[in-house]
Amino acid sequence: MNDIDPRDNRRGQEDTAVLSELNRLVDEIDPPPADLLDRVKFAIALEDLDVEVARWERAGSFAGVRGGQTGTITFTVDNLTLMVNFTSTGSRHRIDGWLVPAGEHTVEVRVADHQSSTTKADDGGRFVLADVPTGTTQILVHLVNSRGEPGRTVVTPTIML
Amino acid sequence: MGELHTADEHPPWDGLEGTERHAVCIEAARDGNRLALDVLVAELTPLVWHVARGQGLDRNVAEDVVQTVWLALLRNLGNLHEPRALVGWLVVTTRREARRTWQPNKRETALSDEFAEQLESETGLPEDVTLIDDRDRRLWAAFGRLNRRCQELLRLTVLAGRAEYRAVAEALSMPHGSIGPTRGRCLTLLRGYLETEGGSR
Repeated sequence: MNDIDPRDNRRGQEDTAVLSELNRLVDEIDPPPADLLDRVKFAIALEDLDVEVARWERAGSFAGVRGGQTGTITFTVDNLTLMVNFTSTGSRHRIDGWLVPAGEHTVEVRVADHQSSTTKADDGGRFVLADVPTGTTQILVHLVNSRGEPGRTVVTPTIML
Repeated sequence: MGELHTADEHPPWDGLEGTERHAVCIEAARDGNRLALDVLVAELTPLVWHVARGQGLDRNVAEDVVQTVWLALLRNLGNLHEPRALVGWLVVTTRREARRTWQPNKRETALSDEFAEQLESETGLPEDVTLIDDRDRRLWAAFGRLNRRCQELLRLTVLAGRAEYRAVAEALSMPHGSIGPTRGRCLTLLRGYLETEGGSR
């Protein structure tokens, strides 16, 4: 590691000082959101560790969903697309979803500090969960193959509903 | 699963630091110890966050990237060849994920290093912050004038710590030996900007 800073000492000390000022500034100005740790811990507290993460496709506006309003989010991973529409029903939510390609996969909705809600998509890939509590939410899709045998599990990052 | 882990008063990573601590936590996590994962998450999420933000992601997107990176670690727990190099793995994975997310509609043309180098931008860095301390204000303004490559290199070297030069070099695809000199040039630039921002120390 001694090839790192071949310049003279004084200069090196000044650099170290500037860098530690910078370190402090970055932390002060741009700290992680206060609830991020809890959200990460919730997101990874899964039974099955062998999960694939679906990514949120952010075409156009997505801010509405963060605000707890009605909105549609699309997640994708490999060849699976998961579209979910959230409708607020007061303190709870209705979730209408659609999986492409279709399959009778099990869909699990985890909400922090609540029991999971589970349903099964129909042969068109559609599913409905009519009464989901509000909070930090994560969707899991337990895929089945054409013979109905369980396969991989796809998870989303958490959404604030 | 199955076996219940009793609340251990002295977990195996107790008293360890840095790469040693990370490696022991990874080993414990492989054995199903969830607490070990939470320890890593608590200690290294700020690093992952700042790497994501350094790539120009807005705060909402950066939050998702942070989660995606930790979920990816879950999946790769078993085949992480060098548990000691966890920080490097996190930095590389976060950058890759951030670039994938950067322009969702143009994945093929993800942000390249060459492009990032030319991009003189404060994307992702708050510009309108109110800093009371004049020195802080000048330093932040000077930092914001650096090209992205310098910004990222400086951020990474301070965040990841001195012991992690190799990880930073790998993440930035730089030869190990060139990090020091490049960082030196970035710091010289920073000093220059700092002076024109109204006097140095």
